[in-house]
Amino acid sequence: MTRADNQRLRQVRATILGDRPDTSRNDALYPVYVAVIAAGAYGIPAAQQLFRSLDGKWLAAHAWTPTGGIVAVSVTALLLALVPLVGRVHGPVVPPLPYLEVVVASPMPRRVTLARNWRMSLGGSIIGGVLVGAVGGGGLAIAKVASPVVLLPATASCGLLGVLVAELWLQGQVHGSPLGLRPESSLPRGRRNALTRLDIAGLKRQSASNATIGGAVLAGDLRTVRLDAAKPSTHARHVRLRPSGPLMVIARRDLLGLRRARWSALYGLGLAAVGSAGLMLSLRSPRTPTVAPLLALIVAYLGFGAWCEGLRLHADNSGTSRLLGISYRDTALAHLAVPVSAWALTSIVVSVGLWLVGLFTPTALVWALGAGALLAGSHLMASFRGQPPIGVFGPRAGVPAMVFWYARPLLATLVVGTATAAWGARAATPWTAFSWMLVGAAGVIEWGLTLVNKRDRRS
Amino acid sequence: MLGRRSAAVPVVPGPASHVLKATGVGKKIDEAVLLLPTDVKLTAAECVVLRGPNGSGKTTLLRILAGTLSASEGTATLDGSPVDERHDSTRTAIAALIGAPATYRDLTLVDHLVLIDSTWGRVGQTADDRADEILELLEIDHLAERFPHELSSGQQQLFHLSMVLVRPSSILLLDEPEQRLDPDKRELLTRILLDRKADGSSLLIACHDPAMTDSLADTVVDIASA
Repeated sequence: MTRADNQRLRQVRATILGDRPDTSRNDALYPVYVAVIAAGAYGIPAAQQLFRSLDGKWLAAHAWTPTGGIVAVSVTALLLALVPLVGRVHGPVVPPLPYLEVVVASPMPRRVTLARNWRMSLGGSIIGGVLVGAVGGGGLAIAKVASPVVLLPATASCGLLGVLVAELWLQGQVHGSPLGLRPESSLPRGRRNALTRLDIAGLKRQSASNATIGGAVLAGDLRTVRLDAAKPSTHARHVRLRPSGPLMVIARRDLLGLRRARWSALYGLGLAAVGSAGLMLSLRSPRTPTVAPLLALIVAYLGFGAWCEGLRLHADNSGTSRLLGISYRDTALAHLAVPVSAWALTSIVVSVGLWLVGLFTPTALVWALGAGALLAGSHLMASFRGQPPIGVFGPRAGVPAMVFWYARPLLATLVVGTATAAWGARAATPWTAFSWMLVGAAGVIEWGLTLVNKRDRRS
Repeated sequence: MLGRRSAAVPVVPGPASHVLKATGVGKKIDEAVLLLPTDVKLTAAECVVLRGPNGSGKTTLLRILAGTLSASEGTATLDGSPVDERHDSTRTAIAALIGAPATYRDLTLVDHLVLIDSTWGRVGQTADDRADEILELLEIDHLAERFPHELSSGQQQLFHLSMVLVRPSSILLLDEPEQRLDPDKRELLTRILLDRKADGSSLLIACHDPAMTDSLADTVVDIASA
């Protein structure tokens, strides 16, 4: 950045600010202050509790072995691979629309006009990495899984990872822009020139999406967030929906939808398989930490949810002219056929895999199949929950009330699923716990159907 | 030209005759008057066109007669019973296009029509043919394998009309079906609606197009500004 560029940018910023004081430094530092306080007050105690509940001795024995290292590196690499994908949807350089229209679209060099946003994201990423390292390292040390010395390398390495994350994030944004990285482009190449390769159309799209999603989150409108974040389907357009009976055609619709959203179907399959396996394995021993079925159910909930797009789209349709020949409630139930069948099939295949390695128990398979009803009920709840009540936005309610309101479907799954799984693993015979799980699942389904009927009445 | 019957109109054979009636129907929300008390009667094979300035309550009246909105005063009945969209009998008789219907963004145009047709329990093997015929009828058969987000606004309107026309019904309620259509497509739509009427369907249409109104209307109801 030349002195002249700096001068011009200062003039532009002065014009934008007018008579108002420049609070940008404080605005940037305040989130850092809050994050540091939160990491110290909540992060480290939660991390050490997590490491303790995961069986600290077992973890201490396995974490520092070559296998532990391979697992850690693999998980890190997997997470890093996801970062560019995030950048394609929401990159690190997303100035507000007026700034893009007036300043970034001007002849000033883009690496000058966008430098401030990039530095903010880079700094945030590094600080985030340092805090994650400090929380993880502190948790390991307090739980006596590792010596306190681990705090230093954990913090330093996570800080460096923060730099890498920011770079990958930016590369994702560059690759996701409408102009992309055309081979004939005469723009300068290299990391330092990444900012010059961001085109105005892509920046505007991300900025508009940012405003839409931000507004939708504040208004509690998750539907807008979902539809704005996900790319519309264009795959397998030549495959036609096959006609069939009124309910069967809904299931066929969902299968076709999954075929056209292959990634959703695949990551749903992966998460459901991991969740199902985790749930089955957590029932094998009374010594299994309670956190194991809890984590397995979270993963299973996410996997099952990836197959529920048809259900969510049906919920989106309330309030519009109805054209289908079956009732709103029956359509909702028919949309559960594919995810429930896919869950059952996945559980059976996973149990075959567990049988091959000698870890199969028939009880666990029956349990996993029963958990399908619980997941179906919670996704009925999630799809038809609608808008949060006004009280959630009140000054007395705050963020926890809103998070609780949104998380009710997941919490219902976790409370019923984890409590009964922990009970089943510890009881002499698991069938009483299993029966209670089914009772709980029936309650969650009924809750979901009540929400369906409520949406039906409102539309 | 407008009165000519178009070929291959895939209507349901013999729509049942119904009487849709609004008697002194009005709508208020607090102090805001959305619709002044209005009378409308629609019998079999009849077309009633609602006219009135913007904000006079045409859409509100259509919503009330579709059974998706309750009236503040007066009664809306279908064959003497209150109109309620949640009743199977109301849904079976009335097909409404009031605002854009929801679409599935992972289904193509032809998939939507097959889905709608199948949920009405019609013969599965011929659902494909009916879907193709409707698209051809509206001259959007070349768009059959597009997704809804890949259409222009006029094409969207034709697609929405196809979704209403493909399902069986005796009464069509259409809110400004001519909007965003070019003159040729308005003529085409008029011919299709005249064919529907000739086959016994009843039409209640809010319309701002004088030519369409002249061609279609047996009765014109002028709604006063609320």
